Amino acid sequence: MNNSSSINKLFGGMRIAATGLNAERARIDTIARNVANAETTRMPGTNEPYRRQAVHFAPIMERMANGQQMIGGVEVTEIAPDHSTMFEEIHDPSHPDADSRGYVKMPNVNTMKEMADLITAVRAYEANLSVQENFVRMAERALRLAE
Amino acid sequence: MDVSATNSKLLLNLLSATSLRAKVLANNIANQNVPGYKRQDVKFEDLLTKELGRGGDKVQEILPEIVTDLESKARADGNNVDMEVEMTSLRENRLLYELYAGILSGQARLTQAAIHGDR
Repeated sequence: MNNSSSINKLFGGMRIAATGLNAERARIDTIARNVANAETTRMPGTNEPYRRQAVHFAPIMERMANGQQMIGGVEVTEIAPDHSTMFEEIHDPSHPDADSRGYVKMPNVNTMKEMADLITAVRAYEANLSVQENFVRMAERALRLAE
Repeated sequence: MDVSATNSKLLLNLLSATSLRAKVLANNIANQNVPGYKRQDVKFEDLLTKELGRGGDKVQEILPEIVTDLESKARADGNNVDMEVEMTSLRENRLLYELYAGILSGQARLTQAAIHGDR
């Protein structure tokens, strides 16, 4: 993207807030996928239950006209399976996915943790929205300089 | 009266510094959930005050600086963005922007009045 034109400078801040909105939306989508699959005991093509997905963020680095690096928002670097927690095994011999001992592996999704993450993601989304509102006001004021 | 607007240079610098600060604060807010991210801020008014204390000859040549804040207390994941601080600074910064824009508009109106007379 061309950052040198002055109109882009005027709306550059809105783009930063937009990257924040994008990243938080990706997190909310992933939380929704985790919660929806909290009881999925078998993934198609495998004999494992659903594995929780985690979103990873990193700042976007942009080079400015004077060669200096400046942060230009945030991006999702990857949505990776979470191997840090184990599948829980419950005893349910009547379950179609139960093994020979009658145990079923459950997904490593903790619904409480997902809900807590959802709250922070939604709050962060709202914060980015209000930042965008701030830039709209500033741009409006700058445009009124010509009046 | 100076209509060549050399005395507006400081005001324009103040406007671009507040504009840059808004972007830096937006970055902090966008990166509030990035582990290890350190918040940034823009230093300009402090530098101006220092220069004014020295006599203020080079006050128009001072440029805003982006500084990384390593002193604020970080959360367990190493990120030190504090939403209350960011939102308060963002509001304060916008009021400053409107103030500087208002002064600039006022100056322009005065110049116009000087050219056209009081009509």
